[in-house]
This record gives sequence, structure tokens and C-alpha cells, in this order.
Amino acid sequence: MTSRASVLPPLRGLRLDLSAQTQSQEELPAAVAHEVLGGRGLGAWLLLRERVFAADALGPENSLVFAPGPLTGTGAPASGRYSVSTRSPLTGTLFDGNSGGAWGSALRRLGYDYLVVAGACAARSYVFVGSQGVEWRPAGELWGADVPASLARLRDLHPRCEAAVIGPAGERGVLFASIVNNRGRSLGRGGLGAVMGAKNLKALVLAGDGGHRPPVADAERLKFVVYEAEKLLKSNPITSQALPEFGTAVLVNVLNQAGAFPTRNFRASQFEGAEAISGEALRKGYVQRRSACRGCGIGCARRTTAGGESGDGPEYESIWALGADCGVADLTAIVQAGYACNRAGMDTITMGATIACAMELTEEGLLAGGPRFGDARAVVEMTQATAAGEGLGEELGQGSARLAARYGRHELSMSVKGLELPAYDPRGMKGQGLAYATSSRGGCHLRANMLGPEILGVPKMIDRFATLGKAGLLINMQNLNAVLDSLSLCKFTGFAMKEDYYARLLSAVWGEPMEPQELLRIGERIWNLERLFNLAAGFGRADDTLPARLLHEPVAAGPARGQVVDLPPMLDEYYVSRGWDDAGVPAAAKLAALGLADAISVADLDMGRGAKAGVPAAGAA
Amino acid sequence: MLEQFQSIGRDLFLAGVISSHGGNMSVRMGDRIFITRRGSMLARLGERDIVETGLGENDANVTLASTEIGVHRAIYQATSALAIVHSHPPYAIVQSLVKDEIVPVDSEGSYLLHKVPVVAAELTAGSREVAEMLPARLAEYDLVMLRGHGPFAIGHLLEEAYQLTSVFELTCKILTIAEGMTAEVKEYRKGSEQYGSW
Repeated sequence: MTSRASVLPPLRGLRLDLSAQTQSQEELPAAVAHEVLGGRGLGAWLLLRERVFAADALGPENSLVFAPGPLTGTGAPASGRYSVSTRSPLTGTLFDGNSGGAWGSALRRLGYDYLVVAGACAARSYVFVGSQGVEWRPAGELWGADVPASLARLRDLHPRCEAAVIGPAGERGVLFASIVNNRGRSLGRGGLGAVMGAKNLKALVLAGDGGHRPPVADAERLKFVVYEAEKLLKSNPITSQALPEFGTAVLVNVLNQAGAFPTRNFRASQFEGAEAISGEALRKGYVQRRSACRGCGIGCARRTTAGGESGDGPEYESIWALGADCGVADLTAIVQAGYACNRAGMDTITMGATIACAMELTEEGLLAGGPRFGDARAVVEMTQATAAGEGLGEELGQGSARLAARYGRHELSMSVKGLELPAYDPRGMKGQGLAYATSSRGGCHLRANMLGPEILGVPKMIDRFATLGKAGLLINMQNLNAVLDSLSLCKFTGFAMKEDYYARLLSAVWGEPMEPQELLRIGERIWNLERLFNLAAGFGRADDTLPARLLHEPVAAGPARGQVVDLPPMLDEYYVSRGWDDAGVPAAAKLAALGLADAISVADLDMGRGAKAGVPAAGAA
Repeated sequence: MLEQFQSIGRDLFLAGVISSHGGNMSVRMGDRIFITRRGSMLARLGERDIVETGLGENDANVTLASTEIGVHRAIYQATSALAIVHSHPPYAIVQSLVKDEIVPVDSEGSYLLHKVPVVAAELTAGSREVAEMLPARLAEYDLVMLRGHGPFAIGHLLEEAYQLTSVFELTCKILTIAEGMTAEVKEYRKGSEQYGSW
């Protein structure tokens, strides 16, 4: 790895061994921060070093790394974030979730840069971390309580605490269970909550104010750069108008008009009921007020009411997954299904996409008595059944890939590496196809989203149907997002800000020069660390692909009519641009240039070839 | 890709930031560079005016490539740039003759550039010296001015690099006019005294 002179303090960590109910403090040299920053990058660094790629994802040998970044809690725009990294039971890949709220800031105020959770509790428990130390508590009545009730109870027990909890879905082992914090924000995808549940860990609770201030080397400089950054955020129509006014749901009509709004399990790319489930409709009939994560001036979140209930969301992705993807245009049902997911602690994208898969299996005559496209009531009921582990819900709780495989039609799972695709049909935006195929955590829009250049014209509009010439742009985006997840900052700032702003924010906080290009280099290092982990976990070129439907079934109607994704040439261009060989393995020269020559052994890489042990398999039909 | 080169090349000429045969542009795709031909007229680019060569090493096509191929290659090897525009804008050249850094006074330039460093070289065209010096500065700034010669602008897309070039020349024009006025320029930007440290 690289090294450089620094005045940075070492990274300070807290390690909880759940099996032994012991805790220890540890330090990592500041060079690690220079190499991977914090957050997602630190999670990848730690989990690769500790060979978690060989772990059973639901076993005690898997670990969870909770890590804010160097900008968390410093006053940088939209910086109240943290990451949780682990090996995903849903995908088998390295996986991290990233969430707003105030949990990350609270960890830093306790004086820690990261927290590792290893082992498994013998009995159902939760852990409280305060300035006086760690307390191991029985979960008692918390176990079985839904997310809002758990958070409320914990706040009674520990006033002004910041808590990250799982709901009944995580306790029960739903493979897409989430972790939720008490600002209503989720680490939604990949089953992070199932890993916590398998460890018998209900919650990680932090004292609200540990008394430490995240260090800022040059406060005056930071103030200046924050001012300049906020000027951009306030003048950009996406961050100053669209997101604050409509939330992320503003994208429903945008994507639908572009013919990139997947409908009925991606059988179409435009939804006739889009207007009824749009951001405009949500604002008109459901929104109580907008809300924001700590330290964020954008405020994309929503507090809503529907059918006599109230709650958070839904976001664009949830509206799509529980709506258009299931052929449902009943916004009340969609919002209620979203609430059910939030209460149970489940990822709305995988939930909706798995119901959509079940709907297609039903229509294909393979799933007797299953839900059918357009049935709003079924979406709500299936969500509730999954949370409760009842009936078909038990099968849905394993995600669409296992469900489709169980019924002999694996291609009906619209997923990559086992993670269900989100709300962008890549036949209408080809670069997004490459983004899905190469994402280090599977079918995901947060590793890189070509929505910017292909639909919104950020930074500039490019031909969305073109195939070649996009790999470099995508790679820069993947690298930059790895940086943002590691700093940790909200990706929405990227609609207005460029890497030079991020570099100058970090430079002010660290009190060291930081060039934008160096920041992107760090992002590239993180991406390659993740690739090495996934190679050792059994993933390779064959997994960098898309569902057959997107490769071979042309869109029947709309602006994307006749389009499929011609992936192989894009993938070739991507590997060359990454400095990887034809099999998708980083070349020795690339690893050496990134300081990763010794990051993994040849034996560990060989171990991964063709084997994906350590994750639950599909049950027999 | 040819269309992009053609439209931006024509715009550069019509904007008056290159002479008939001046300036050059390139894009990177994977391990290949596509660069304008040496002596080509950017306002009249045809298929044969875009030359493909290697990112890591030369090949025979380098005989046709722009004089600045070495600089472009060095920039791509050291940065995440995917496109480069090099032009010869008159106001920018004038400003570079008297300054070591150019700090905009106009709003657009302030937002997009904050500050542009000026670097000097004994041999300003296609020299090894420039190829060694520029990438390090472009790691910090998306546009760097070569004194007396012209700016190199980088971006993820050709249009981005062109936009920076265009904004920079307008900034320099405004600066030149403002500096020629006898009246005091009134500051309207909070914190602008720190732009020089950007």
C-alpha cells in the first residue's frame, strides 16, 4: 500500500466480539485513511484483510463494519452519513449500505472512526456504547418488536441515543432485511439486517453526545469551501428545486417519458399508470412535510400519510418496485406497502422486484394461486406475509433469484449477482446496463448511475442508446462514488459538485493537500479492493452480466422500442479501461500502481474460481 | 465521435479561440487515444482528421497525430481525463503574459474556475517539458494555462473541456476590459478574497 508523511491521527476503532461479549479498542495507522478514507473504503479494506470472503454470510465468522467517514459530522454538506459493510447473504459479494441520519456522527462523537461487530451473541441482545464504555443488554421484549416500536423503546431506555436496529425481517432471516436508524433512514439493500439477526443482535445503540468533536484541521478554510459548495447546491435546479419539492419521486415521470421505467418485471419500459404514482401525485395527496438528514440542505425525504397511517417515504425506487414493476398504479397501496417494509425492516426494491417475479411466475402458470400483475392488494398482502414469514411470504423472503430458481425459471429474476435491479431500464440507457453488470454489489444504481449523463444531462447529455465510449465515464463515476461513500457524503451532492470540491473539503478537514485526481485514485483503489474480495468469493466475468431479457428481448413500444443491451463489447472496453484482463482480474501492474500488490494472496484468488460457498442456496422446487 | 469533434472544432474557430490550423483535441477510449491530425483545420474536420493511437505506447499513426500528442498522452496517463481541448484564445494569452494565476471577477468564471494557474515553458509546443509539467497541475485544476500559448482543459467529455475553455476565454476578456477601466471594480462575491487559494 502507499504511504506518505502525515499529521493525521491514527484511525480509532472499537471491536465487539459478540461470542465472548468482550470489546477492545484498536488503532489503524493514518496511512489507511490515505489509502481508503473511511466508510465504505475502510469496510472493504478491513473485510478483505480479515478474509471475510471465505465466511458463511450468516455465520459468526462474518463481520459487520460500521464506519462513518472523515467528513462525517464536520459541517461538510450532506455529510451526516455512515456505511455498514459485510458479506451479503443475498448476493455473496462484499456489500455495504450507506445511510443518512445521525448515527455516524454519534460514533465519531464517541471518538471512534469505525466499529467492528464480530461473532454472534449466544442469546438475543443489544449493545449500548457510551462514553463510559460498552454495555451488553438482553434484547428482551425488543425482540419481535417492529422497527418504530424498537426505536421508541430504545429511546425511552437511553434518552437522546442514536440507534441502529433491525425489525422482525432481520430477526427472521429475510435475506433483504435492512438496518434502520432512528432518523428513519435505512441501510436498505443486501440483507445487512439479516446478518445482524443471525448474530442475535437487535440493535447497536450509541450515546447521543460522546463529547468528541470530529477533528477539523482548518475550520476557516472548511467554512469557505462549504460556502462555495452550498452556492452550487442552491443554484442547481435538481438539488435546489426538484429534490426538495418532489423528493426522489420526481423521477417517475422523467424516466417514464424516456421509456426507461421498467414495468411488470421489465416486460415493458413504460407504465401507463405512471402519472398516478408520480412525485407530483405523491406531493398532492400524501406528503405531510419534507425532512432531511443531519447536515443536509437538500431535504429529499418525505413524511407521508396514506389510508390512516403515516410514515416515511416512499422514495422513487420504492414507488417503482411496489408500483410499476408490479403493474400497480394505486399509490395508497404502494405507500402502505412501503410502510410495511419500513416497519419490518426490509428493502423495498428487492421486496417489490421479488413480488414482480412471483407475478410473472404466476402468469406463466408456474406458481399456483400466486399474485398477478396489477393486483394492488396482493402487493400489500405479500409484503406483510414476507415480514411475518407466512405462506408464500416465506419464499419471497429469500429474494427473486432463489424464488425463480426454485420454480425452474432463473431468468425471470431481474437481478445481477443476486441483487434485484432498481428502477432504470438499461435498454433505454445503455450505459446503465454496463453499470449494473459491473457493480461490485450487484444490480445497483448507487455504485454508478448513468441517469445523470444519459437522461438528465449531468455533467453533459450523451447519446443514451450508444454502446461504446461510455466505459471511461462510468469508471470515473464508480470511482467517485466510492470516494463519496467513503468520505461519507450524499451522492446527490454530485448533481451540483465535482471532485475538486470534494478534494478541497477533505483538504480543509485533514489540513493536507488533496488533489482531485488523487481522490479519484483512492476511489479506484477501493473499487479494485472490492473486486479482489469478490473474485475470492467466487465472482468473475460470467457474473458481470445482465438478465437475459435485457440482452435479448427488445422493448416492444415507446421511446426505447427495439432496444436491447449489447453488453459484450461494452464489457471488453470496460475491462481494458480498468486495467483488468479478459477474465476481469486486475492486472499485476494495475494492482502495483494502486499499492495493492499484496492485498490478497494468489491462493485466495484461486480459491474463488467458480465457487460461491457461504450463502444460502435456492430450495428445491 | 466524429460529429463531436466536428461540432466543437467549428465552435472553437467561430469563437475566435483558434486560428485556421491551430489547437487540438482528443478523447480517450480504453487504452486508445483519438486525437486531431497534425495540421488539421478544426473547423473543417473530416474522417481522416481523427487519428487513433495508443495510450501506453506509440504506433505508426503517431506520424499523423497532433504535435501535442505527447502532452495529451501524459495527461491521460496521469489523470482520469477522458477528453482534452487545447486552444489559443487571445485574451487568455494576454492575461498569461502578466500573471502567474488568473482569478476570475465574473460570476460564471468564479463558479466554474475559481482560479487558473499559469505555467511557463521554454518550448511551449509539443515539448517534453510541457508533457512533464502539465499533468501534475491538471491533477489539481481542470484547466491550466500555458503562458503565451494557450490553455489545456480536461473533462470526462469533450463538451466539458470545451465549456471550460469557452468560459476561461470570456473570463479573461472581462478581466482585460475591467483592468483597463479607471473606475474601481466593486466586489460582489462573499469570500472572493480566498479564490486565489482555491
